[in-house]
Amino acid sequence: MTVVHYVNQFFAGLGGEEAADHEPVRLDGPHGPGKALVAAGLPIDLTVACGDDRFALHEADCLETLLAWIDEAGGDVVVCGPSFGSGRYGYACGVLARELGRRGTPVVAAMTPDSPGVLASEGAAYIVPTTANVAGMRVAVPVVASLASRLAAGTLVRSAEEEGYLPRGLRVNVRSEALGAERAIELVLAKLGGDVRSEIEPPTDRVAPPDPLGDPSGALVALVTEAGCVPQGNPDRLPTRHANVWLRYPIGDRAELAPEDYLSVHAGFDTTEANRDPNRLVPLDAARALVEAGRIGRIHDEFFTTTGVDTPVAVSTRMGQEIGVELRNAGVDAVILTGT
Amino acid sequence: MSHTRADLEIAAFAIDEVVEGTLTGRDGATLRVSSPQLAVGAGEPALAEATVEVVRPGDRVRITNVLDAVVPDVRADDPAATFPGVLGGAWDDAAHPQIHRLRGAAVLPVCDWEAGGLVGPEEFPGSYVDMAGPGQDRSPWGSTVNIVLRCVPAPGASVADADAAIRRASLDLARALAATTLDADPDDVRRVGAPPDADEELPAVCAILQVASEGPLTDTFFDGHNLRDLMPRVVDPTWLFAGRLTNGAYDWPGVRNTTANYQDLALVRALERAHGETLRFAGLILAPGYLDTAEAKRRGAEASTTLAAELGAAGAICTTFSSGNSHTDTMLTVRALESREIATTALVCETNGGLTDHVSEADCLVSTGNEDELVPAWTPDRIVGGGDGEAGRAIAMVHYLGSCVETGDGPWTAVPA
Repeated sequence: MTVVHYVNQFFAGLGGEEAADHEPVRLDGPHGPGKALVAAGLPIDLTVACGDDRFALHEADCLETLLAWIDEAGGDVVVCGPSFGSGRYGYACGVLARELGRRGTPVVAAMTPDSPGVLASEGAAYIVPTTANVAGMRVAVPVVASLASRLAAGTLVRSAEEEGYLPRGLRVNVRSEALGAERAIELVLAKLGGDVRSEIEPPTDRVAPPDPLGDPSGALVALVTEAGCVPQGNPDRLPTRHANVWLRYPIGDRAELAPEDYLSVHAGFDTTEANRDPNRLVPLDAARALVEAGRIGRIHDEFFTTTGVDTPVAVSTRMGQEIGVELRNAGVDAVILTGT
Repeated sequence: MSHTRADLEIAAFAIDEVVEGTLTGRDGATLRVSSPQLAVGAGEPALAEATVEVVRPGDRVRITNVLDAVVPDVRADDPAATFPGVLGGAWDDAAHPQIHRLRGAAVLPVCDWEAGGLVGPEEFPGSYVDMAGPGQDRSPWGSTVNIVLRCVPAPGASVADADAAIRRASLDLARALAATTLDADPDDVRRVGAPPDADEELPAVCAILQVASEGPLTDTFFDGHNLRDLMPRVVDPTWLFAGRLTNGAYDWPGVRNTTANYQDLALVRALERAHGETLRFAGLILAPGYLDTAEAKRRGAEASTTLAAELGAAGAICTTFSSGNSHTDTMLTVRALESREIATTALVCETNGGLTDHVSEADCLVSTGNEDELVPAWTPDRIVGGGDGEAGRAIAMVHYLGSCVETGDGPWTAVPA
């Protein structure tokens, strides 16, 4: 097991604020709080450090150096901090954790829950909450050491509540001692008694409807669908369900979508009728008629498509935002969104 | 369907071992299974093969292409009326039916539709039960002795015909296995029927069981008839325990309502246990999910709510059938119930991206697990059911039969991490 520890200039013993521009360094063995981690049972093979200002001002370069050293050492797990309430140090810990997480390297960090490092980590690290100052070191170190040891060994890490780390925005499966039926009865009885509880926190994202289109006769209108409409042969392999991608296809000067050219790969409904007339998925023929009649201005020259089957709201939200950016950049005024 | 409560006696016989032999029978807790003697699938022209294989907990086996799970049941007072409507007999409410049930064993029909050329690639999600390894505890049938019924459709048979034949064959096999108990003394006997009077001060709580019926491979059956035209209605929960509600809807396996779930629905059992103690069990509503249009969904939700109000329910528990579309049916039902001031909770599975649908009134939810979570890779010694079974690859929870079932029958839940 190879353990790498990241600290800032102060905890590496390089100096205080006057050394905040210190370039990245690597040091053998434990330094500063690393010694406490060793005492808690976590051997530290390598310490890497960077000045807080240096990291903030030269993030990409510092990351490249630090990640290269960690790769070279073959780190099985990386510990960042504890950074306590320090904003710059916490941010550096969070960013490093995020990048390591993207590479699949387990990371444990420790900081205050409101540290900018929590947001910067994007859920990639197990973050142990601490007090704002080093007084919390004694409490945090054993928790960090325990988590890091188990992550390096590939053994089970339990839920945030059981382990005491900050929720990473993930939901993991655990076996309950009670069946779902028993838990449902307990919850409904509690609710009847005025105690409303839920095993799932409600999503908070609510979308306000946009203002009505002023004058549609000059509007550029785009066609967007979740009906899984793609060119015959599904050349880009749009998933038939659980899609997490959207695609776009040129419309050009087509008057309509011909059945020999398009089909639906949607796994959520009987596509027989739709495949006889793909315009019922992407209503190009009707939109062209509206243009012809002067009711709308123009049709955007490509349509956007995905399959809306078993698609979680969060994935739909992301795809909608991505498509929205494309449409806005193209100057689209309005969208006809067909659902199935 | 009316909702008169019938009495039913369920006599359970524990099984801890199943062996293949020349005769089918039972020696205490050991069940002997003779595939030739049972001649399962005989007389089914839509099946080219129907073979039986026994797999046990601890076997390094992955069962693949699993369609359903069935608890071996026989109606002891009238074996012909077992699984009424499917195996030929009819239900008789006037009688005092007795079910003999094997506990610890299950019939698992499997069929490789894709190998049979009846569905295209990716049309039918992988459906697994692991008897060992990290996925064993994901499916409840990883811990039962399983009599796997491997079916191969006859060349030229339609999907609908092959499916009907498989369902008949698996229920027939379940009946034949349970029939080994007909002259034996059970380990325990449970009586279900009209609940006794309970303190009127206790809150009345009803359950809404969501099912779906959309066509071949996606149908649910009552007395052998599909429920494609189902409108919400109050049903006698005893009928479920009697095997009158059966599954032929092979949606995502993790959130699939199996026949075994219906035969022993944990939610009804739990409500009956709580009846007179902490609540009054007001009744069970069978409701359609996966409805096609917004209007149908709204009507379904309103109709369920009207029935719940007629039952005098102060509280309601909504189950959900499968993933996706049906979550909207559940959420609209929650909204409709709450609008009538019926305190409601619902059982739903989660995904890595959260819930598929949600309304603000759904403030009291039971998580039946995150269906997207990957179960670590495992390589079984043997695949039973065809295909490569994705051996050696991490597999999403949703592919394990019954892992995240939203009827309340499972132990899994998802927590923040």
